Amino acid sequence: MTNASCEGEVRVPDLGEVGSVTVVEWLAKPGDTVESGAALLEVETEKTTFVIDAPRTGRLARVFVKEGEKARRDDLLARID
Amino acid sequence: MTCLRGSTERIAARHLPLGRAPYGPTWRLQKELHARRVAGTIPDTVLTVEHDPVFTVGRSGSRRNLRVSEAVRERAGIPVFEVERGGDITYHGPGQLVVYPIVDLREQGGDVHAFIGALEGAAIDFLADHGVEADRRAGFPGVWVGTRKIASVGVYVRRWVTRHGLALNLAVDRSHFAMIRPCGLDIDVVSLSELVSDPPTVDEAASAVLERLADALRWRLSVGDPSEVWRPRDG
Repeated sequence: MTNASCEGEVRVPDLGEVGSVTVVEWLAKPGDTVESGAALLEVETEKTTFVIDAPRTGRLARVFVKEGEKARRDDLLARID
Repeated sequence: MTCLRGSTERIAARHLPLGRAPYGPTWRLQKELHARRVAGTIPDTVLTVEHDPVFTVGRSGSRRNLRVSEAVRERAGIPVFEVERGGDITYHGPGQLVVYPIVDLREQGGDVHAFIGALEGAAIDFLADHGVEADRRAGFPGVWVGTRKIASVGVYVRRWVTRHGLALNLAVDRSHFAMIRPCGLDIDVVSLSELVSDPPTVDEAASAVLERLADALRWRLSVGDPSEVWRPRDG
């Protein structure tokens, strides 16, 4: 149930037996400094908004899944340097 | 009954029946209780409420799914709130039971799908007790009687704690639903009062639905006094 399998990597958490999730909104953009524990993005599945927090403080280096796109459990969403 | 993953011990939980209440203060109360649940200072808490007429739009929704102009909506005196739950537009109002569980999903195996299933299952079992066969539809969360929707779900999760929840139509004003495309779809809705001759009141339905939900979530449920946390008409 952790959001990061490796420090700085943001992945789709295990939400149980859901299919894919859709990225609804990034709450930071690449280059922004993000704080550990701050809301980083919202994903949606099965009429549920799930907020994923930044796993560490740092610079949001890269976003791999755009708003409106789908991802599955454990997919890499972003990297924080 | 839907059983969620996790241990078999019962989890202490509190039911706060709010009665009839406007949307805004109830939304604020959910956020306060959510923060307290995240901080671990309160147990799982479930609110039941019958709202004054209101439209709410979820995170993947749009006001475009209002079928009427803003002027018509305002004349009808029905406010719109853009809220953080999943899903599109819906209607709440008199004759509808709304259930807002503030639940730590980590105690439920961290399974969002099973949690939604527990909400739907509580409504399905309740309806079966009244002789109505209702079911899920793949890809369309909520509870359906044939092709008509009788209950909607929409949830928000932060730090594994939920808010928002389930709305079950007992005897709802169809003219209000007609002002929207529910869930952004061209679907028909139905109330229990259209299917049975003696539908329960919202209060009766609240107790029955929560009994089912408590089984699914393994709650040991006690009823609390809402006045400790709640002054709805203060604005």
